[in-house]
Amino acid sequence: MSNFCADIGYLSVNHYGEELCGDHVDVVPGDESSTVVVLADGLGSGVKASILSTLTSKIISTMLAAGLSLEDCVSTIAATLPVDAQRGVAYSTFTILHIRNNVTADLIQYDNPLAILIRDGVNCDYPRTEARVEGKKIYRSSLRLQENDTFILMSDGCPHAGIGVAYNFGWRREEIIDFMEPLATVGYTAKTLATLLVNECFQLYGGQPGDDATACVVKIRKRTPMNMLFGPPANRDDGPRMMSLFFSKEGKHIICGGTTASIAAKYLGKRLDTTLNYVSRDVPPISKIEGVDLVTEGVITVNKVLEYAKDYLADNTSYEKWNFQADAASQIARLLFEEATDINFYVGRAINPAHQDPKLPINFSIKMNLVKELSACLEQMGKRIKVSYF
Amino acid sequence: MLNVTICIGSSCHLKGSRDVVEKMQKFIADYGLKDRVELSGAFCMGHCQEGVCVTVDGALHSVAPETTEDFFRREVLSRFPNGR
Repeated sequence: MSNFCADIGYLSVNHYGEELCGDHVDVVPGDESSTVVVLADGLGSGVKASILSTLTSKIISTMLAAGLSLEDCVSTIAATLPVDAQRGVAYSTFTILHIRNNVTADLIQYDNPLAILIRDGVNCDYPRTEARVEGKKIYRSSLRLQENDTFILMSDGCPHAGIGVAYNFGWRREEIIDFMEPLATVGYTAKTLATLLVNECFQLYGGQPGDDATACVVKIRKRTPMNMLFGPPANRDDGPRMMSLFFSKEGKHIICGGTTASIAAKYLGKRLDTTLNYVSRDVPPISKIEGVDLVTEGVITVNKVLEYAKDYLADNTSYEKWNFQADAASQIARLLFEEATDINFYVGRAINPAHQDPKLPINFSIKMNLVKELSACLEQMGKRIKVSYF
Repeated sequence: MLNVTICIGSSCHLKGSRDVVEKMQKFIADYGLKDRVELSGAFCMGHCQEGVCVTVDGALHSVAPETTEDFFRREVLSRFPNGR
């Protein structure tokens, strides 16, 4: 076992005018700390390509995660894929990254652009061996993982970006490396890195991609705990117990909610300093308590964080906001989405009588739903979540 | 120094405390009272139904964005009859 974990994020843009993507990424978590990631690119574009790539990635990821050999996977694919009527072939390229125990990784590549590995901030030309499986030329690599290793898996739509529009020969792999190297080291999440890469492809295509383009980024990082306190306990007497559990935990501490912050300040014997500094129209200002990493208002701020979380899991267009803005919700988003891998929620179930006003869009059930939805989103981002209620 | 505290908790935020804060900041600047009135924020004062909650030297008032100017003249400006 290691204390590493894999942050995985991917994004695609479709061939111009197509509703379906011909590339498919599948992530199958195996047993504890082992994961199979497959990026498959089906022949052509549209529905046929989509079926080919979905079948390919599903078959490979499921079989590998179950412990079957690569040879078995490839022969299964060859026997299963429907044959294209026009071209007479069944064809889908693939890249497989099999992470074992978060210590080693096997990289298996068939006809996709060679995956990029950025290690210690620079491109790493990892060793590969060539093998023939069922007549297909396949590259295999075995690597020992290091902290901050960043793998970039791509479909050929990425290096083909800009052919005839921005560049004569597309966006070469070396140029993609030059583009990604500085970004990989500044702490962006895998999803954001994939978004930046795919957005750049979309620009180079002049907004009309000539092929499906997909990037999947896998970033190896240390586990980082984070703690978030949200709402006062239902029973006032539980306050000190809730606070001592919360503050005894390793990692950063976030407090959401005015009353909650007052209880925490009292428990710590520190002053609660509120500011009137509105950096955003719709998020209340931040406060300060010595010893607490971030103090914010409750429901409105967390609701905004949930909005960002949902967008992050979809097409991630709002990362431009939460990645740079100074408001409370953006700061929470950065701590939870980027920095944390293990998040402990301490949720108080006190009912704030003022929030039960039917004219206000904040009531008790909304607050409980916020916690439920946000923790579900964070789990989808691959984080370990623990929620304790008081 | 006159202490004016505006609640920025959830309820008061939804009832427009941001607008109240901005208007108060503007009035205080316009009447040159920056050295004589200290404007600060606070979390829930426990009177959410009457929000936006504003205290002037500890005394609680209920203010809305529309009544801010009236409130400022009545509770703040009136205390400085000689102006700046």
